[in-house]
Amino acid sequence: MAVGRSVPVRDAEARVRGTIPYLADLRLPGMLVAKIVRSPFPHARIRHLDPRPAMGIPGVVAVLTAHDFDRPGAPRLFYGVDRKDQPIVARDRVRYMGEPVAAIAAETPEAAEEAARAIEVEYEEQPAVFDPVEAMQPGAPLVHEDCPNNIFLHTRLRHGDLEAGFAAADLIVEETYTTPPASHAALEPHGVIAWWEGGHLTLWSTTQAPFVIQETLAEIFGLPRESVRVIVPPLGGGYGGKGYVRLEPIAAALAWKVHGRPVRLILDRFEEFVTLTRHTACIHIRTGVRRDGTLTARQVEVYWGAGAYADITPRLLRSAGLVRVVGPYRIPAVHVDAYGVYTHLPPAGPFRGTMSFEGAWAYESHMDTIAHRLGMDPLELRRKNILRPGDRFCTGEVIDEAFFLECLEAAAQRLGWGQPYEKGEGTRRRGRGLAIMMKSTLPRSRSECRLILRADGMLELHTGTVEMGQGAHTALAQIAAAEMGLPLERIEVIGPDTARVPYDATTSASRSTSMMGAAVQKAAARLKEEIRQRATPLLEANPDEIIIQAGRAWLQGRPEIGLPWEEILRRHGLEALEAHGVFETQGGLDPETGQGIASPHWHQGAGACEIEVDTETGKIRILRYCAAAYAGQVVNPALAELQNQGNVVFGLGQAMMEQIVFDQGQPANANLSDYPIPSLRDLPNELISLLLESPEGSIHGLGEMTLPPVAPAIANALFDAIGVRIRDLPITPEKVWRALHGDEADL
Amino acid sequence: MAMKQTFELRVNGRIHRVEAAPDRRLLEVLREDLGLGSVREGCGIGMCGACTVLLDGRPVSSCLLLISQVHHQEIVTVEGLGGHGTLHPVQQAFIEHFAFQCAYCTPGFILSAVALLEREPDPDEQVLLEYLSGNLCRCGSYLNILKAVRAAAQGRKPPSS
Amino acid sequence: MSPEVLHPATLEETLTMLEAYGEEARPLAGGTALVLLLRHGLIAPRALICLEEVSELQSIQFNEDHVWIGAMVRLQTLARSPRIHTRFPVLAMACGEVGNIRIRYQATLGGNLAEADYASDPPIALMVLDAIVWAQRAKSKRAIPIAGFFHGLYTTALEPNELIVGIQIPYPPPGARMAYLKFRTRSAEDRPCVGVAALGIFEDGGCRDLRVAVGAACERPQRLPEVERLATGRSLDERMIRLIAQGYADQIETLSDLRGSADYRRRMIEVHVRRALEEVCNGGGAVGASAGR
Repeated sequence: MAVGRSVPVRDAEARVRGTIPYLADLRLPGMLVAKIVRSPFPHARIRHLDPRPAMGIPGVVAVLTAHDFDRPGAPRLFYGVDRKDQPIVARDRVRYMGEPVAAIAAETPEAAEEAARAIEVEYEEQPAVFDPVEAMQPGAPLVHEDCPNNIFLHTRLRHGDLEAGFAAADLIVEETYTTPPASHAALEPHGVIAWWEGGHLTLWSTTQAPFVIQETLAEIFGLPRESVRVIVPPLGGGYGGKGYVRLEPIAAALAWKVHGRPVRLILDRFEEFVTLTRHTACIHIRTGVRRDGTLTARQVEVYWGAGAYADITPRLLRSAGLVRVVGPYRIPAVHVDAYGVYTHLPPAGPFRGTMSFEGAWAYESHMDTIAHRLGMDPLELRRKNILRPGDRFCTGEVIDEAFFLECLEAAAQRLGWGQPYEKGEGTRRRGRGLAIMMKSTLPRSRSECRLILRADGMLELHTGTVEMGQGAHTALAQIAAAEMGLPLERIEVIGPDTARVPYDATTSASRSTSMMGAAVQKAAARLKEEIRQRATPLLEANPDEIIIQAGRAWLQGRPEIGLPWEEILRRHGLEALEAHGVFETQGGLDPETGQGIASPHWHQGAGACEIEVDTETGKIRILRYCAAAYAGQVVNPALAELQNQGNVVFGLGQAMMEQIVFDQGQPANANLSDYPIPSLRDLPNELISLLLESPEGSIHGLGEMTLPPVAPAIANALFDAIGVRIRDLPITPEKVWRALHGDEADL
Repeated sequence: MAMKQTFELRVNGRIHRVEAAPDRRLLEVLREDLGLGSVREGCGIGMCGACTVLLDGRPVSSCLLLISQVHHQEIVTVEGLGGHGTLHPVQQAFIEHFAFQCAYCTPGFILSAVALLEREPDPDEQVLLEYLSGNLCRCGSYLNILKAVRAAAQGRKPPSS
Repeated sequence: MSPEVLHPATLEETLTMLEAYGEEARPLAGGTALVLLLRHGLIAPRALICLEEVSELQSIQFNEDHVWIGAMVRLQTLARSPRIHTRFPVLAMACGEVGNIRIRYQATLGGNLAEADYASDPPIALMVLDAIVWAQRAKSKRAIPIAGFFHGLYTTALEPNELIVGIQIPYPPPGARMAYLKFRTRSAEDRPCVGVAALGIFEDGGCRDLRVAVGAACERPQRLPEVERLATGRSLDERMIRLIAQGYADQIETLSDLRGSADYRRRMIEVHVRRALEEVCNGGGAVGASAGR
């Protein structure tokens, strides 16, 4: 069977030879180089912008400014997947440091650079606001004049009687947790090649969402969708940062102005930091609990700092931003208020573990505070309240596939939870902590695929799923191979290319192996039917007596009477036989109450760790980390394991070191020296990955599950070790040290 | 102001003539002028190792070198490892041990490992980290990378040991 | 805009070029720092004088009472040289902690000193070794004691057209014990929040000579001779170690950056000076010890 086997990714050899073609490796004839001119201020009026000095520079082909959008037949200046609040280039106001004000297409990078320097822009700086809570205060500078208090969306979840819940509590615990902006820091930067030719736009883009790009650009340019083609090469990492619309509009607008020649735009590392960040979050969480540990009520207020443009945040707030901040617990009364707030920072968007990371940071740290106040073991408190199969979540939906407790206990047990251990002495103290998370995937989304059996016996799998290192193309090929009973070598994966493959919502939210995988299964079933129909007259049998498997069609019980599929196609004079598979998830939440179906299934992951903290420096060393994910049916164990390890490594960075420091809106560490990401030597001394399999379970995406628990598990272990509670990420040595030695800090 | 000059570069055992400004970065020369796509820009400041090349066997960041600094040394990129149809043992080990995800960092890691094993055929953990910890993998495949390099080192030992 | 790159083969040629171009030329050693300055437009020299082939700058010479390290000797060479490790373990450790393996294989000791980056390890080690920086220009050559070499952030005692040709380090007496501690607050690949080098010479259970240098937490690496002298002729016991650590914490003017605030750094100086001295006391002979991840 192809499913359940650890096979290397399909293009493994090209990957180790360095020959897989990332976007930056593509060469098109006549290709121009693009450069963006960006605002140096977080908030300013543009008093004057003169592109003319740039136009005279040899090698400069086009300069794009907001004026170009005034021409008849011009594309729309404003776009956005939800609120159309973002201009392709700023017109009269810039709202974050790094916002594009102009773009240049030139024959060489040198000419583009020179032109960028030559463009004259006169700014008048305006007061700015960077923190979402400050931005909501009366009198705060407005990011968009039509948006009072800078709140562009307030969503609500209402479940049960909150007052009664708190009245029934013996103890009410209230805390505030915060997380800073962070950078996805994919080693491959964002890039686009855009080419306008005779009313058709072709883009090669480092995107996780080719069909969203197609739809958005068709809208911007007033084109039918078919006139926009989006092709995605393999990505050098995504982590959400390449989700939704990024550089495509500006690159396409520049290409529109150039007309006839491809234009390539690749960001440098600085630009990466001002293109998309993680949200700045402030989470107030208040929980009522009985003396025996039963949770009675929970109220959560979350302020999601979205930066200067709403981008994908409104969509997230209608579901993810509500349900990912509650926790996998049975609580009779839950109210959540989520606010999307503009600030004068770069836009925020999806980020590996989107909103679950921030949510789990708050609710899992908070659970340990509650356990401590009750004098209860943290695992016991969770065990008492955790969602079990058949329980209702705060959205009203019943959770059937619930393995939260199993994940938590697997991680805890592997760590030796409850058993005595060396607590350390003197300046080296040890502690243990654990955490669990639940994450929704996308409701109301669709994945389609096409399988084409060719006369040469090869099976083409056409998919819009983006391969970004997660191994999705390999896993999908394995699913196709298993369904059709073919060896993997006979599967060829095609796409993503909107002109060739059917629709897929996005490659995000760990949805691909599960949803595209389901589409592949459906297509395979149909393809088998197609083959059966063609085989029936040739084998002179009833269709239901024919077995379609492993490249042959044969009579049940008489395998010697049969034909290879190639032969069936040949006898019918067919070049190919194709079948389409569609998998769609339903659901969605009521906009007023947050009740409904938030997710077709739930991602479940836990972490448990033992740390050692140096009480003189505040520095933490992670001695052991166990990450347990509910994996359901595993398609490729080695790749699944790799995803799980990656979660922990990524999570460690978010937990302990990563933060884009904005100083009055200016990024102070927009490079990979001042913004560190985890290295080999930052790994825990021991990293244990546990995948809970269930052969009857569904297939799950594993790229996020065990990431959100990392930060709270470490924070809880820290509290266990030295009684210090950190509520603001990242957990730096200095924060720990200040919490321990607060008095000495005031020198 | 200096104009373009002609440089003779020895890359992967062949001599290439390159017309370039003397301060052009080796990274750009290899990528743009010689079409060696395995040499990749990640951070541009020598931190990530995606642009690692071997310069007379030493691992260096090609984003921090000017073409003028290197024109007498032998440069090796991943394209110069292995042969037609065969892989270098380190490359083979990376496949066998699933030592990559997006693989943007992979050529850099492989070259660091090759440099390591040339010098230290039987590296201890400390030397392993000395050579490998300066390459960054954002996907977090580190454990498998270590496994792969250890296995490649084992494979180099004579069978008796 | 491109500078021309010159390739002198001898020191004499190099110095003549430097003289001819004056301030419009920059010597190019390993280039790991200079290339970034060029790229970011922070410098725009007319010429770069590449030192790669200047034979006089390349060697390490173990002379009778000192070692001579040519300016172009790479940090990795120093980190891995058995003889450097034996005689100057603190230097080998500090050089082995710089950046990553690729930087160490490219960067040179002379280039490292000329850059005068405050968050760098080797200068701190050279401070406790009483190194002498030899600087030369067309018609003159001078010795600059390392204690007076660094003037502040990215500024040194070097004069225009002056080139570091080598670093002379006297052999510490046999039995000198050394330690280098690099304290990082974020990734293991990060630059230091605090770096501490220590060297102790002991006789008859007492301390004959104690040297402690602190860097990365302040604008330039520093020693505090009056604090070091507290230990002279005394036993380096726990109380003495605390006194010295306290002295460094009190007197060094710390700076704030992303790796730690000034207040925190002050306390980290205290902790790491103490730990370095404990290592010096516990570590045997001239084999230094390193901690610090």
